[in-house]
Amino acid sequence: MAVALRLGTSRREGSPWLPYLFLAPYLLLFVTFVAVPAVFGLWISLHDWDYMLDSQLFVGLGNYADLFDPTSVIYPDFWNGMQNTLVFTLASVPFLVALPLLLALLLHQKFPGRTFFRAMFFAPYVLGVAVIGLMWRYLLDANFGLVNSLLGTDIAWTTSQPWAWVGLVAVTVWWTMGFNAIIYLAGLGDIPVEHYEAASLDGASWWQKFRYVTLPGLRPVLVFVVVITVLASANMFGQSYIVTQGGPTQSTQTAIMVITDLGLSRFQMGAAAAESYLLALFLAVVSVLNFWLLRDRDAAQQRREARAQRRAVTR
Amino acid sequence: MSRTARNPLLWLLLTLLSVVFLGPLVVMVLTSFKTTGESQAVPPTIWPGEWTTRAYDVLLSSPDNPVLRWFANSMMAATAHALLVVLVASMAGYAFARMEFAGRRVLFGIVLSTMFVPGFIFLMPNFLILDSFGWLDTLLAIVVPGAAGAFGVFFMRQFFLSLPKEYEESARIDGAGAFTTFFRIVLPNAMPAMVTLLVLSFLANWNDFVWPLYVLFNDDSLTLPIGLTKLQGAYTIDYPVIMAGAAIASLPVLVLYVFVQRYVIDGVASSGVKG
Amino acid sequence: MPQPTRSPFTRRSFLSLAAAGGMSATVAACGGGSSPRDAGGSGQAAATGDGGAGGYDGPQMDLTFWNGFTGGDGPTMKALVDQFNAEHANIAVTMTTMQWADYYAKLPTAVSSGNGPDVGIMHVDSVATNAARNVIQPLDDVASALQLAESDFATVPWQAGLYDGKRYAIPLDVHPLGFYYNKTVMEEAGLDPEAPPTDATSYMDALEALKNAGIEGHWASPFPFTGGLSVQSLVYQFGGSLFTEDGASVTWAEDPGVEALTWWVDLIEQGYSPAKVDQDADYIALKNGKTAFNWNGIWQINDLKQTDLEWGVAALPTIGGTPAAWAGSHQFVLPVQKSSDSDRAQASRVFLNWISEQSQAWAEAGQVPARNSARESAEFQDLPEQTELASQIDDLHFLPTVPGIGDSMSEFDKALNAATLGGTDPAKALADSAERAQKILDDNAAKYGG
Repeated sequence: MAVALRLGTSRREGSPWLPYLFLAPYLLLFVTFVAVPAVFGLWISLHDWDYMLDSQLFVGLGNYADLFDPTSVIYPDFWNGMQNTLVFTLASVPFLVALPLLLALLLHQKFPGRTFFRAMFFAPYVLGVAVIGLMWRYLLDANFGLVNSLLGTDIAWTTSQPWAWVGLVAVTVWWTMGFNAIIYLAGLGDIPVEHYEAASLDGASWWQKFRYVTLPGLRPVLVFVVVITVLASANMFGQSYIVTQGGPTQSTQTAIMVITDLGLSRFQMGAAAAESYLLALFLAVVSVLNFWLLRDRDAAQQRREARAQRRAVTR
Repeated sequence: MSRTARNPLLWLLLTLLSVVFLGPLVVMVLTSFKTTGESQAVPPTIWPGEWTTRAYDVLLSSPDNPVLRWFANSMMAATAHALLVVLVASMAGYAFARMEFAGRRVLFGIVLSTMFVPGFIFLMPNFLILDSFGWLDTLLAIVVPGAAGAFGVFFMRQFFLSLPKEYEESARIDGAGAFTTFFRIVLPNAMPAMVTLLVLSFLANWNDFVWPLYVLFNDDSLTLPIGLTKLQGAYTIDYPVIMAGAAIASLPVLVLYVFVQRYVIDGVASSGVKG
Repeated sequence: MPQPTRSPFTRRSFLSLAAAGGMSATVAACGGGSSPRDAGGSGQAAATGDGGAGGYDGPQMDLTFWNGFTGGDGPTMKALVDQFNAEHANIAVTMTTMQWADYYAKLPTAVSSGNGPDVGIMHVDSVATNAARNVIQPLDDVASALQLAESDFATVPWQAGLYDGKRYAIPLDVHPLGFYYNKTVMEEAGLDPEAPPTDATSYMDALEALKNAGIEGHWASPFPFTGGLSVQSLVYQFGGSLFTEDGASVTWAEDPGVEALTWWVDLIEQGYSPAKVDQDADYIALKNGKTAFNWNGIWQINDLKQTDLEWGVAALPTIGGTPAAWAGSHQFVLPVQKSSDSDRAQASRVFLNWISEQSQAWAEAGQVPARNSARESAEFQDLPEQTELASQIDDLHFLPTVPGIGDSMSEFDKALNAATLGGTDPAKALADSAERAQKILDDNAAKYGG
């Protein structure tokens, strides 16, 4: 199959270097800004690193030990940030997985103008977090904000809990809902129409079709959406930075905010690098867990589905 | 099908959702034309009682907040970044899709696996690396490092895998070299994928926040999103000015989006299905 | 496995070279010195020789000046800069204002990348840290050129500009904490608005009278502004200190500290303050007539003058045994320049020299001039509120100037927050935070060589 092209590399021009020439520009970037930093970051995390100084103090695993020592200086902020990140992730992911699915189901209907509506619901996402953050900071203002006015409430959305979280989750859902919906839509489009027709012939209700055709068909997409949404939520930064500025009293200061503040504002880069590797480790575990939980059932489900399908076809 | 289209409930829902999704953006723009006083009125107004371009005048004439400069910075950085991504990613994607070489699978595996490495672990080391290059506080810091991301390579490779080989084969038979074939034959046929990647990269770069927040510092080198946070500090509660800044930052992406929304949505959609 | 990349270290040597050039004037030809003035000998020596006293006659020079004066003091500083520009045809200073937090975060990065400002402002407790980190350069030459001496200045802010035997900062002002009171509210509670309380007994009596009139008289803020500044003042009043004088040890967990924080938390428990005071809510309550007393910075004078409130300001009442108040100080600094351009260095010094003499204009922005002459001048005496607060000058307390003092103070603020908001026992909150703060100081001492 690849024979035809192999002639391009080895037979015709004979230069085994050709593929590497094509790869060179990207690999140069990759090595400089991904591969080297990944290792260099580990090296930094083993130091009390202050880039304004000529020499760096090697502290071994000291920074990592500090992250597990409740009396250390960085411990309270880091775990407060981790806890806040967990709260935000747990609070936002269910909405960010479920609501876009409903939106996608709606847009999957056939009606005139669906392309237009699809584009419109995605529109907030093309605006950056800075724009939507400032906009919602204004709309959520406790005194003259439109949200309180429309709801007839008197809530301090940016300076009191739990309302700060409610506001940040709502803003995030509003902002990124279209993104997940588009992914779901593509997944819905890939489910063969025959499956629905077969189910209809069986007299399946709307719910049964959703439960036994749509959901199983979406399973791989669903896994993808859950994994990237968890990662995105765990990376939350801009919304808190702009809307609540981490407040009230650091209660919405996320892990990334803690890391950037420590490393890039207070320049304790060693400790900050250690924090970022620990957080990355957490996220890796969570992602693997997500894949494993959802994949496993997915496979089983598909096997069951295949059996059901065979039965339906033979009937 | 037509039964769905005639369902009044559907249209009610769509209208409601449209208000929810577009309403805030409309309010943002309307607020930018209000007086400071009206922007803080209780209860708040939606439609300006008195239209004024004061916010824009203040913004565009403020020497401390060179919004037009930020706009130009963002535009240059995002354009350069998108072009760089498309160039290096198509070349690398093509190599991974079509060429055979030692270590291809391993190399592609390594590149691909970095898509799942969270970007924040690169913050400290890349900051120091850029510092050593003398790139801090320059647009290079915004343009280049992000082009090392694996998504573009993966995206272009997927496209080339699905591209029929006939064109290349006939070009070969005509005696064209590998580079000629790539730039003359393959790339023109890869236009849809390249435009999609171009647009996605442009948007991502235009909106990037955490990284530019920490690597740009002089007033004149900021990008728009970072400039906006500076406005937030400078005009604390003069919301018309802040909303005017937000509107200026939104306009080009929204216009771009209107024209290329199909590419954007197709790009996002394919990232999910194939990822 | 983990290998260091080589690049940062090569840059490091470059930076240290540049820093040395900027600091000690020994590497005159290090870079960028391609100006006509170099013909006359070592440009660098010329630049630093007269510390800016001799004026600047070089080519047109654009300077940048960064500060965090985002409040009411910003326009005053801007006006001074404009005046300087008008008087100096060949120097154009551009002032960039940002939030202090952003300023401190960005300054080292900017300096390191060679894009730092030519002149900056720094709070007194940040000078040592930034000197140790090579962010700012010594300016003994400016001090001697201006013929500045300790006797010209309030002692502490002057001393505060010294690090490691060299002068890194020239004091601009002193901004102490003061006792603001709302006269209307005092009258409502039957208090004499012209005789604000001055000691523990009269203060408590006044709070009790206010409470009986249904007014929470002194809102206890859990935040650095103003709670942190207030409790710091109280620690000194109770005869204690935050640090040992050399800045090597944290002492705020000792008895005076506990007494001070307990007094603060008791304001809530005795009903003189609501439980959860938002950021700035204490000051807003004073302005809205919801409370009578607020301990706040001198910078609020101009803000209150713009209202039609009946208000007064006095020295802090002496709650503990000793009169004492927190104070900060803004200082001029010269960030390290990567390329040693002698014209630039000279022009920066001319600007610094000129503007540090504008104390009086600056006092009108609501600060106490650091210079004795300005503070004792007739013009300053015409500013009654500022004069009132300046009367505390001998009782003011600044933080010791050792690296990391600012970071360790944020632990103090956390203790305040935990005790005021979270109900943590003051003694425990202070002990925990002192332990962390001590580690910060020790780390800094190790890193910057004491």
